[in-house]
Amino acid sequence: MLMQGFEALFEQVEFIVIAAVVLLLAYLALEHREIVYSVFFFGFMAATVAGFYLLLEAPFIAGMQIAVYTGGISALIIFGVLLLPRAQGSSLEVLQTPRMRRIGMVLSATVMTLSAVLALIFPWYESFPADRPAIAQDLAGLAAWLWGEHGIYVQLVALMMLTAVIGSVAILKMEKTEKLRPLKDRPGLGSRDEKKNEGTSETEAHDDEHQDAKEAGTQ
Amino acid sequence: MRLFIDFVPVLVWALLAIALVVIMLLASWVLRPHILQNSDKTSSYECGEEPVGTASVAFPYSYFLYTVLFVIVDVMGAFLWLLAVSPLRISEAVVWQTFVFVVFIVLGIAFALHMLPQTLLDGKETLRLYRESKAAREQHDSGVQV
Amino acid sequence: MIPLSWYLVVAFVMIGLGAYGMVTKRNLIRIVIGAEIMGNGVNIALVAFSLYNPVFSFTGQGLIILVISVTAAHTALALVLMLMYQTRYSTVDLGEPITVEARKSD
Repeated sequence: MLMQGFEALFEQVEFIVIAAVVLLLAYLALEHREIVYSVFFFGFMAATVAGFYLLLEAPFIAGMQIAVYTGGISALIIFGVLLLPRAQGSSLEVLQTPRMRRIGMVLSATVMTLSAVLALIFPWYESFPADRPAIAQDLAGLAAWLWGEHGIYVQLVALMMLTAVIGSVAILKMEKTEKLRPLKDRPGLGSRDEKKNEGTSETEAHDDEHQDAKEAGTQ
Repeated sequence: MRLFIDFVPVLVWALLAIALVVIMLLASWVLRPHILQNSDKTSSYECGEEPVGTASVAFPYSYFLYTVLFVIVDVMGAFLWLLAVSPLRISEAVVWQTFVFVVFIVLGIAFALHMLPQTLLDGKETLRLYRESKAAREQHDSGVQV
Repeated sequence: MIPLSWYLVVAFVMIGLGAYGMVTKRNLIRIVIGAEIMGNGVNIALVAFSLYNPVFSFTGQGLIILVISVTAAHTALALVLMLMYQTRYSTVDLGEPITVEARKSD
């Protein structure tokens, strides 16, 4: 009996600690000045949310969360920060107007109020049933559900990955074509000279390997 | 709850890893000479010249495709690992489904790796772009000076 | 036993934080991070709902696996679009092209 009470208290303490860490890291990920710190906090937050999934008795999803979010999406965003050097300047956030901030706060307060009504007033179940299968059967049952009964969704996920790859390749090829024949449209977006400079600096980055070709070409 | 108690060693290991990194960084911060923070010794070395601007070079965007491929292989690995630990992996219908799944994703990766050289500038194009932009830059400079 | 409403409160606070980040920030990468935080909040709500069920079924967990993999592909394409934005407008700020164009037409 004492063990039951202690376990229930332990569970609540764990939940409060993990929830506090997740919300603190999410706030830091949005509000920190440096972008690289912000992306790192996001990766850390994804790993802590996996702890949440362990509390909710879903071990496979916890593993997949760490592998895909912290290992994949966090690396994607860091790669994006590497490729966009202008994103690393920390002076963009001083241009926020108070009006934008007020709109943002009103919107998120609306979302949170509506969902708080849904969460706290509607009578949900208080506890989950104790007749869940053991953990080893858990994975086998999940595999049977996913690959056995609903195998079509797995093929749809494969098609979606195919679409993502083909889309990325098509957009990058389009980008190379634009570099060879730059866009000549209406002026005024402030990007004409700077885009040429970007083309120059990119070609200068390749310049060392083509130094011999250039000298052979000019002679 | 029982699952979380099973995973507490992982939590302890993660905390130890974080503590290790933090202690190493703190120790080097303590042992560093603080006189260097505002002197010329912290600027980057440029063979005697003064460094101008930042060191970030424009990167070819096509290298982003490798990270996208990693995410796709990661998701494929998660699905296949789920199948590998279950007793369902030897039934015939599931083997065919796995084959189709892997074939779709491998087709995507093969397409990306085949088209990857076409997204980068090759030698002749780079040379032509360099010469054009250099001529335009010199014209702009001489136009400004005149 | 932790009541379900606690999990839902955490999930909806994360959705609210993500929405605030997406509306307020001007840097493009922060908007992508806000979208990811919202996605994580939604996943927490889904897992919580799938557990607190009188009838046990694997539907919730299977759905979450599919949602996580779809989100990964979506983020990859969103970041490729950010690269195209940088190529086109030479900046990573969200409000700058509109501001520059408005100023030029004065």
